[in-house]
Amino acid sequence: MKQKSLLLLAILGFSLLSGCSTMGVDAWEKDLLAKPEMALDEQPLTDALDDHIYFSKEASSGGRAYAGGGCGCN
Amino acid sequence: MNEALHSIAYKDSQGFITGHFTAMAGPCEVIIETTDQALAQKVTQAVVDEAWRIERTFSRYRSDNIIYQINNANGAVIEVDEETARLLDFADLCFEVSDGMFDITSGVLGKIWQFNGSSNVPSQKAIAKLLPKIGWNQVSWSNPTLQMPAGMALDFGGIGKEYAVDSAATLARAITDCAVLINFGGDIVATAPPISRQQWLIGIEPLALGQNNIPPKVALKHGGVATSGDSKRFLQYKGKVLSHVLNPKTGWPVNDAPASVTVLANNCTQAGMLSTLAMLQGQGAEEFLESQQVEHWIQRR
Amino acid sequence: MKKNLLLKSALATATMTLIAGAAHAEEEQDRTAPASKEQTIGDWKFDAAFLFYSESDSRVSAIEPVFNANKRLDEDEYLNLKLTVDSLTGASPSGAVASDQPLTFTRPSGNASYTVNANEYPLDDTFKDTRAALAANWTFPVSDMTKAGLGANISKEYDYLSASINGNISYDFNNRNSTLFAGLSYAFDSIDPVGGAPIAFGRMQPVGDPQNKLSDTQDKDTLDLLLGITQVIDRESLFQFNYSYSMSDGYHNDPYKVLSVLDDQGNYFDDGIPVANVLFESRPDERTKHGLFGRYKRYVGGDILDVSYRYMTDDWEIDSHTVDFKYRFALDNGDYWQPHVRYYTQTQADFYQPYLRQDQPLPQFASSDYRLAEYDAITVGLEYGMKTAAGNQWRFSLEMYNQTPTEPEKYGALQQQTLLPDWNAVMLRVNYSF
Repeated sequence: MKQKSLLLLAILGFSLLSGCSTMGVDAWEKDLLAKPEMALDEQPLTDALDDHIYFSKEASSGGRAYAGGGCGCN
Repeated sequence: MNEALHSIAYKDSQGFITGHFTAMAGPCEVIIETTDQALAQKVTQAVVDEAWRIERTFSRYRSDNIIYQINNANGAVIEVDEETARLLDFADLCFEVSDGMFDITSGVLGKIWQFNGSSNVPSQKAIAKLLPKIGWNQVSWSNPTLQMPAGMALDFGGIGKEYAVDSAATLARAITDCAVLINFGGDIVATAPPISRQQWLIGIEPLALGQNNIPPKVALKHGGVATSGDSKRFLQYKGKVLSHVLNPKTGWPVNDAPASVTVLANNCTQAGMLSTLAMLQGQGAEEFLESQQVEHWIQRR
Repeated sequence: MKKNLLLKSALATATMTLIAGAAHAEEEQDRTAPASKEQTIGDWKFDAAFLFYSESDSRVSAIEPVFNANKRLDEDEYLNLKLTVDSLTGASPSGAVASDQPLTFTRPSGNASYTVNANEYPLDDTFKDTRAALAANWTFPVSDMTKAGLGANISKEYDYLSASINGNISYDFNNRNSTLFAGLSYAFDSIDPVGGAPIAFGRMQPVGDPQNKLSDTQDKDTLDLLLGITQVIDRESLFQFNYSYSMSDGYHNDPYKVLSVLDDQGNYFDDGIPVANVLFESRPDERTKHGLFGRYKRYVGGDILDVSYRYMTDDWEIDSHTVDFKYRFALDNGDYWQPHVRYYTQTQADFYQPYLRQDQPLPQFASSDYRLAEYDAITVGLEYGMKTAAGNQWRFSLEMYNQTPTEPEKYGALQQQTLLPDWNAVMLRVNYSF
């Protein structure tokens, strides 16, 4: 089966990160962004409740996320 | 296991503490970006304990573990623990996505193939005799019960070490936010980039000293690196070099397999599986890894 | 072999399950923070929330329970069902101005009246309603990089029915560091006000007299469009930018809002009818809104910063700015505290008027609805979140909302009155995810 003797030593060294021309990270660097609390729709029910309150009490509404369904409170 | 090998040696250098020990049949190390000796020992001990625990639990050279029970059940139904079930589920998925090329029942071929640089190729008759004993599709696995025909054997060698590295990394992360690099004989995970260096640099072992095509150093911030292949394990046959990667369907080494494949991925298990699957592609290894859009390095003889 | 990216993502998911399982097993021994529960294919995930909302000065109070069920149908395919119930009681500003005389108003039904004491801000206390809303959404993959969603909503209260359908599509590119999003929603509302929809600028009539009201159902159609991009900046941060467009056509009046008709002394103009001289409001039957929204979210060593800004403008000449700030402080045990501050400011609608004057010509449109006036509002809140040993999440939050309108121009007797009083609300919310 697969066995490796291999390569060892992690060699520590300086390496200047060349500035990335495009924004973004590699897939294996998404550990933090992948946390549920970093999701933009982390609390959909809270957002919906808030939106409903502000929809009822303020003249501007929506624009934040994609919502549907009106009510007669405005 | 030889109890004399159960020792850890520490080295302290430039803001990093390294613990060396032996597990999974090879040298292992844990590098922690800290000057706190007590913390380094705590992290290293947790990693070492986990390595030894997984080695004990899944080694096929012991008679007191679940692998022994499964391999000696003679066709009886075995109920497995939760961790074994997770590994079986994973092996099952790998079998499926590789169209049967990755198979944890193919370890029996190791009895007849000795990759020692010689030209001792087993007879087709001997191979044909073993082939009926290979095939994960003959095993009935329904979490948590497993039933395997008598004469077959499971071997977690293809995933156990990578899993151990990832599992140990999870434990290390729970203890400290310091950057930790865990290396079990070339299967590597970094929990975070070192604050002082921005990234870890991993050397890939060249095929031969003095070769022209020197592998690059891999920059790793966090995630896993794994390498499949071994420059010293091959056979010579009819003027060709046979790699030690076996096709479970034919019982023969995979044609035109690279000498080594190194892959970077989210974690070590994923990197290991991608590198193994690439090896199994033979001459299609490069194309396969290109299509997966992962950072990789392939060496050919 | 499946030589595509699905293999990589399948392996990513499978290895996460493999390793996360190990972490979970260790956590039971170490009693560290429980991990979030992974929703496996075929599993339902449930969220429940309960909101208690109460305005100062015995204005509106509401309780609003929400129940959400989400089923993972396949790798990237989800079905979401949400039921919201909303029960309101209390009193709402009628739009009339206060007076140094008691004022009598006819209730919307036309069958009864109520009296507001001298120098008291006129509230209509018939404000009681229960709303039930059901939303269904289906999200599914179209290709490896493209996801789509389809949904429908229906919301029903005593005098209002709203039904909508929506569809959206999102596309990942640049190594999944960028996502483009487009969504479209069409809503159809139908309004049957208690006692009928008032005729625009109709005079309120006494009980027993014919009311200035129409008997047929009123409609409103709304088309909403949202275009957005989400971009990963680095390992810790990302931003989102949206443009939104909304166009509505049909009945926009609030059938329960009125405008006072005043004389040149700032008193109610006496036309001899024995109920306060108020006219039902009149709004345009179209409204077009544009919005820009930007949001930045950053991981700060375990804590999370979440800030956003929204600008909206519409052809009623209402411009608004909203700034929202949240900072989530992570505690060692996995719980968190999250302070929240929101600031909102809007200009008034071009047809907003706090009152009408008998000695001036009637405008084409007018409303004295306080929500169309110029004001600032501040929300300050604190949320506490915790996970149970089983990985279920509790969140508790307490927020205060304060609205500070700009007091309109006054004259004569009106100077003794506050036309747009400040008001506050308390919001208490409990969420449970399991």
